[in-house]
Amino acid sequence: MATGFFTDTTLCIGCKACEVACKQWNELPSDGFEFTGNSYDNTSELSGTTWRHVAFVEQMSVDPEGGLHDRWLMSSDVCKHCTNAGCLEACPTGAIIRNEFGAVFIQPDVCNGCGYCVVSCPFGVVDLIEKFDPEGTHYNLASLSESRLDSKQTAVQQSGGVAGKCTLCYDRQKVGFVPACAKACPTESIQFGDLDELRARAKARVETLTERGVEATLYGADDVGGGIGSLNAFFLLTDRPETYNLPAQPVLPSTRQPAGYTAAAVAAVGLALAGWMIFRNA
Amino acid sequence: MPNLPPNPDDALMGAASRNGRTEAVVPTYYERPMLKAPHWEWNVVTYLFLGGVMGGLGLIQLLAHPERDDERRLKRTARYTAFILAAANPAILITHLGKPERFLNMMRIVKIKSPMSLGVWGLVFYSGAAGANVVRELAVDGVLPRWMRFVAPGFMAPAQALLGAFTAGYTGVLLSATANPFWGSGKRHIPAASVCSGLASASALASLLSTLEGNHAAVHKLERLEMVAGAAELLVLNDFKRASGEYGKPFFEGKRGERLRTYTVLAGTLAPMALNALGQMVKLPKPIDAVRTTVASVLTLVGGYILRDSLIEAGKASARDPKAAFRQPR
Ligand code: SF4
Ligand code: SF4
Repeated sequence: MATGFFTDTTLCIGCKACEVACKQWNELPSDGFEFTGNSYDNTSELSGTTWRHVAFVEQMSVDPEGGLHDRWLMSSDVCKHCTNAGCLEACPTGAIIRNEFGAVFIQPDVCNGCGYCVVSCPFGVVDLIEKFDPEGTHYNLASLSESRLDSKQTAVQQSGGVAGKCTLCYDRQKVGFVPACAKACPTESIQFGDLDELRARAKARVETLTERGVEATLYGADDVGGGIGSLNAFFLLTDRPETYNLPAQPVLPSTRQPAGYTAAAVAAVGLALAGWMIFRNA
Repeated sequence: MPNLPPNPDDALMGAASRNGRTEAVVPTYYERPMLKAPHWEWNVVTYLFLGGVMGGLGLIQLLAHPERDDERRLKRTARYTAFILAAANPAILITHLGKPERFLNMMRIVKIKSPMSLGVWGLVFYSGAAGANVVRELAVDGVLPRWMRFVAPGFMAPAQALLGAFTAGYTGVLLSATANPFWGSGKRHIPAASVCSGLASASALASLLSTLEGNHAAVHKLERLEMVAGAAELLVLNDFKRASGEYGKPFFEGKRGERLRTYTVLAGTLAPMALNALGQMVKLPKPIDAVRTTVASVLTLVGGYILRDSLIEAGKASARDPKAAFRQPR
């Protein structure tokens, strides 16, 4: 059974419970303490050690008649667990696999830290986990289990230098639990479940919202184009995808390989012929 | 409601595109990057550069005819050099990965869809072919017993050339088949330029070594090859500039563009071309000619390295541009 997330951004209240629940369950170190000035978003982005990220978009403007319009969009971003995943295709070690729940999972003990998945994700999700820096402020003792208190490293930091991203709570799913973020979300903005069911629910939700006069679209419930297919973590949005830092036109990187290898072969054959003439005539 | 002045952030946040008001430019999320930039430094640049040089040497060792004295010596030099580079490259990759064992993780699988995986296997097989051909050279030279030349039967020479074309070409596909908008915009150009630049650098290295050996007859042919490869590289880069448009700006414009034009185009290709053309037309006294070849070769090699470095650096800049990332090139 393929499972996934349906993130309904109209229900998100920006509490960041998902971010915290994810950090705690997965023993991810903190991101440090930094104020960005970008609304309430001090997390900024998904990273090797941040697997849920709540985006905040404050929209305020005045129309020509002087009417004030304001809106506050919040959306919890996550790895999309793509049907055709750029990261999975690119990984040269086979560290990235598709598991029995249809999720894209990185095996940290197999990953060699080459970083090729990082440049192959069309959504900018996966990143390398910083190597553990005992002098740095980038760890959070509160998130450590007893057994690791001595070394002051989380499990993830122990394997520092490898790639990290959302696992769709593989370990929790294995024992029949709901992923930590979905469990913690107080408004059911993050819904977890069987993908077919989620898609049906999402489509019904769009209809309801449309009836109420809200422009709502689904991102990733169906094929997003570019060869990627649908996303196992899809979103209900009320503005264009770019507003939430999602690509309007993502492309699966491997679709460019045939053209690349062909161009290289043409160049090689041409130069080989030229070389043959130069050396034969000499 | 108070009549607030228009919010200058409207365009940025995409607010104005809603509710039928002024159509705004594409919104970004606080101008934050959408994609992650590559974590690649000098080691990956060197890995890709040497992949190209090695590939070019694969062709040169095939072209050199074993029955002409100068080419016979060239063949040997090309083979030794190719093998040394092929042996050094995994070590360079390991400096990037951090631990030697991590290189072995790549040997777990062969993945057709991953240029990184195929490339490593290409490198392994190339090293095998290059190693066999080196054994043959040693056996022919009498360093090893003569019968050992059968370690590398005749087909090993074209095999090394074919694998070489692959190692040079995949270094381009490795970049162009990623989600990076600039790299992706060069899906044909970057691989083609990698092959051309690889052969130009390989010819330069071979002429440099042949000059040191005093094998001037071979240098003459190598320099012609270098000129052809360099000209092809310039044609490809020129067309790349046209085809990549907005996506190509981090590479072709600004500081990186200037560096590319100075070091790769002018000093790295046009200058050595002129020097090589001079060498073809006038017969200079031997010591002066040796200096001319050396300068031309070093310039070409530096230009080739800067080309790879510029590709990586422009990729980093491109990843930081959310607007390019929102519409990824097909
Ligand atoms: S969103 Fe990126 S990291 Fe997640 S599965 Fe897709 S390609 Fe991989
Ligand atoms: S960094 Fe790890 S997971 Fe990513 S491509 Fe390399 S080996 Fe695979």
